Amino acid sequence: MIDAIASWMLQFGALSWLGHTGASVAAVSLVGTALFIFVAANAIVLVYVERKVSAFMQVRLGPMRVGPMGTLQTVADALKLLVKEDIIPQFADKILFRVGPWVILVSAFVTFAAIPFSPTWVPADMSIGLFYVVSVSSVVVIGIVMAGWASNNKWSLYGAMRSAAQIVSYEIPVGLSLLAAVAVVGTLNLQELIHAQAGVGNLFHWIPIPVPNWFIFNNPFLFIAAFVYLIAATAEVNRTPFDIPEAESELVAGFMTEFSGIRWALFFLSEYANAAVVALLTAIVFLGGWQSPFPDIQGARIGMSVLAILAILWTIYVKYKANRFSIYPLLMTVVLAAMAWLFPAFARWLANPGLIWIAIKGGTIIFLLMWFRWTFPRLRVDQLMYVSWKVLLPLAMINLAGVAIWMWLTGAINLVG
Amino acid sequence: MTRLNAEEMVLNMGPQHPSTHGVLRLKLKTDGEIVSHIEPVIGYLHRCFEKHGENIEYQMVTPFTDRCDYLASMNNAHAYAMAVEKLMGIELPERVEYLRIIFAELQRIASHLVAVGTFGLDVGAITPFIYCFRERETILDLFEMASGARLLYNYIWIGGLAHDIPPGFVEKAYEFLDYFDDRVREYNRILTGNKIFIERAADVGVMPPEVAISYGVTGPNLRGSGVDHDLRRVQPYSIYDRFDFKTIVGQGEMGTVGDCWDRYYVRVLEMEESAKIVRQALDQLPAEGDVKAAVPKKIRPPKGEVYFRSENPRGELGYYIISDGTNVPFRVKMRSPAFCNLSVINEIGAGWMISDVIAILGSLDIVLGEIDR
Repeated sequence: MIDAIASWMLQFGALSWLGHTGASVAAVSLVGTALFIFVAANAIVLVYVERKVSAFMQVRLGPMRVGPMGTLQTVADALKLLVKEDIIPQFADKILFRVGPWVILVSAFVTFAAIPFSPTWVPADMSIGLFYVVSVSSVVVIGIVMAGWASNNKWSLYGAMRSAAQIVSYEIPVGLSLLAAVAVVGTLNLQELIHAQAGVGNLFHWIPIPVPNWFIFNNPFLFIAAFVYLIAATAEVNRTPFDIPEAESELVAGFMTEFSGIRWALFFLSEYANAAVVALLTAIVFLGGWQSPFPDIQGARIGMSVLAILAILWTIYVKYKANRFSIYPLLMTVVLAAMAWLFPAFARWLANPGLIWIAIKGGTIIFLLMWFRWTFPRLRVDQLMYVSWKVLLPLAMINLAGVAIWMWLTGAINLVG
Repeated sequence: MTRLNAEEMVLNMGPQHPSTHGVLRLKLKTDGEIVSHIEPVIGYLHRCFEKHGENIEYQMVTPFTDRCDYLASMNNAHAYAMAVEKLMGIELPERVEYLRIIFAELQRIASHLVAVGTFGLDVGAITPFIYCFRERETILDLFEMASGARLLYNYIWIGGLAHDIPPGFVEKAYEFLDYFDDRVREYNRILTGNKIFIERAADVGVMPPEVAISYGVTGPNLRGSGVDHDLRRVQPYSIYDRFDFKTIVGQGEMGTVGDCWDRYYVRVLEMEESAKIVRQALDQLPAEGDVKAAVPKKIRPPKGEVYFRSENPRGELGYYIISDGTNVPFRVKMRSPAFCNLSVINEIGAGWMISDVIAILGSLDIVLGEIDR
């Protein structure tokens, strides 16, 4: 995408003085700024969504006062944090204390460079995209240790140490589960991973149920890998039930204890940026990224109708089981299905790959992460390590071998050949 | 070559810490995550209850008892009133006894709701806490109807109640009970049976019955260790002998008898039992009757002393009162259950991790207002 922008700039007469290098630099800064705005907006929106989701799960209303339905609450909070007094504890390591939050933010932010948002929209389409994302996102741990150490507070130190142990441990199941998908396609390029998931196929290759050709559906081992990845990634970004580094009831706020104002806001920004990266990566590697679940117009119509029927059944079930009734899911899906049948243009739009699909998939995963957070208790440190080393790691390894066997069975690779 | 200095680190947990249930300070000696010694430091909430008691009249002590265990004000006032009544030999009207039981048991449910919810919070589950507080609100609404206050009621007085319950109270109470049974199942679904919760609570902080008894631990903590001891049963006061309820004892379903999970689950089940008692009391409540016994305006108990103990939500709450024949007590000593329960923390908490110490502290369900008095 950067090359495209740069060459567009050069074609544009008034900018031709930039030259080739100048245009590239300008394009990079342009894309970088756009991504940064995206990350900041993402955090502001997700904080609001998280508050609302948690509120609805806890029979509350959540923010309601600032703006319509409280939508401006997080904006107001961000402004408050910006103008807060900048406090650095007297005995803190001043340099590390200042640098730490930025290391965390930058490492969370630069991962977006390799994320493909649509068939054409990828900031940097690199051949080792997946490797880049995984490796860059693990730089976070350095920032966390910096912040925890620099605070000169025992609680912060505990948080930092826990976090270091946790992130390093969970890197491995994360890597292995992603590797399972890589083994199928034979590329680390995220765009090619998505292209490999186009079309419609049978569920788990042989069961004759038509499903999108996403990895989670066409290979049982990748189905397992998707869950291993989601669990391990939840731990890697320190979210409940694996949020022990900032465990509120134990470590006050973990490595964030001594931070306030804008520095603390940076932690928040990076936390939600990380959550978004995990969600997007799950969507890309296992759920077909920006691929549409429907193969063509007819498929979109049938798919939306199936969705509407499922919504009707769900509404009846909830009414019968819990005696609660909400018309919105039903209404929404029925209207969408009707629109798909009435307007061919809408159906075509649904069948096309694009930003909307990766947004929907990523949003669903983020909601799942929030659901975890507001339902589960927190694991203990040693239990966390147990899950990583004795459950997820063997599972991911066996899974990787399983993927190879599966590919041989389905004829995707030929061992004799 | 210099040796790596690997000594234990002293970690101050509190007085400002989210999970010490008030202003408690725990001095932890830690080796990494492992805690080798716990020393509770108390007194941050000391308000001279006993000294106040020696300087004010008998009736004036009641509001102070409310403020000791502020999550179970009704039970505290109930115990104090019964102690003074025992000293004076006052006979109470039936209706007073029933109403007191209703309030005491509702308060027990409210207190256990806080205990269960905050224990969930201590192990990281936030949502059950909010659910528990939702039900507690309903109970507080009932108390507000009766006494006008939501936390510190000053409702149970020596020789009766401050005033009668308002019309509509009984119906509201029934309504709450009908809806509450279902809620307990909801807590069990979201928290009690959760795998992570069981991992965190089962087999953690095991308190064997001998340890519990030797430290004077009482209440749900003692019953969680498998000791069948409930003052409402073994030494029935007021009219507890008229009701049909079970004493809940820890069974060790998920681990060892006396672990955090048992202490937690005893409270969950006790809420159901208390709801049963309230329902029976509401059924049997005399429709008419006085809410005050014939007590003189100035309470002057005869010379002597009395020790009266009752079952608080946290354990055995005792009042030791010495009277010198005047209208001011010579001595009011309170045996606070949470104080004794807290004293066991080093015995059962040492050797566990920091996260477990939080869980163990939460499972002991302490109230600092009562410990410091």
